[in-house]
Amino acid sequence: MTAADPRAIRVEAVESLLAEKGLVDPAVVDTIIEHYETNVGPLNGAKVVARAWTDPAFRNRLLDNGTKAIAELGFGGPEGAMMVAIENTPDVHNVVVCTLCSCYPWPVLGLPPTWYKSSEYRSRMVAEPRKLLGEMGLEVPATKKVRVWDSSVEARYLVIPERPAGTEAMSADDLAGLVTRDSMIGVAVATVPGSD
Amino acid sequence: MDVDLEGPVSPPRDNGTIVFSAPWERRVFGIVLALCRDGQCAWEDFRQQLIAQIAADRDRPYWESWAAALEAVLSAGSAVSPVEIEERTGVLAARPHGHDHRDDEHGHGHGH
Repeated sequence: MTAADPRAIRVEAVESLLAEKGLVDPAVVDTIIEHYETNVGPLNGAKVVARAWTDPAFRNRLLDNGTKAIAELGFGGPEGAMMVAIENTPDVHNVVVCTLCSCYPWPVLGLPPTWYKSSEYRSRMVAEPRKLLGEMGLEVPATKKVRVWDSSVEARYLVIPERPAGTEAMSADDLAGLVTRDSMIGVAVATVPGSD
Repeated sequence: MDVDLEGPVSPPRDNGTIVFSAPWERRVFGIVLALCRDGQCAWEDFRQQLIAQIAADRDRPYWESWAAALEAVLSAGSAVSPVEIEERTGVLAARPHGHDHRDDEHGHGHGH
């Protein structure tokens, strides 16, 4: 269906040249795509957050050195990802944007959503975060400060949402189910059990 | 395996499920990751190219900037020249209609 798309043909041309030169193995390309489609995703980040909610010592390590603490759970990469965890509190709501490009903590959040890299999100989240959050379905109480974090290669932020009330008895595994991708970007809060 | 894609790499993912709007987008994503993973291209070089490509044409769809960044990195590293790409694209485009497209062979369904 895309055979007529000149962009598709061009990408195919590049891949065929790379394969001939021995620079890329199409089978490896397949494997990598599958990996990102199936293994890497927001669930990794959700596990990090759930652990932080249930293990105060881990939470401290996470806030102290995000990359290192996240690596304890086996997530991360060889390129020295500078992961920084920022914690929502009753007083502060954090939200992440990348104004320069679309930096994003892949190892814990998987592939970013389309809107994250839109120029509208990138500019408005800085200019009028409260308004944009409202349009995205999150009303932040006026008493709560909104803090916007601009990602860069030096620091990619992971928001630790507030743990919903009434979840004291839940296990870390079950808690991870409450932590959505959007809540770790900061455009939503964690799901309240039984709310949907 | 984890190629750490920190940067401007941003394929769409809808609540945990990756969404490419066309097979070529999926493919060009995988090609760059494969090159970086095997050390054929430094992720930072690609990232800088992608930033430059996005800055050069902010209205261009993200994946087209990504593909342009790939070509720029390959050209800068003398791995594949623009001329080679043009020529090969011409050859492939001249295939008879209905030719089995590569992306289809690798297809893993069409999302949802």
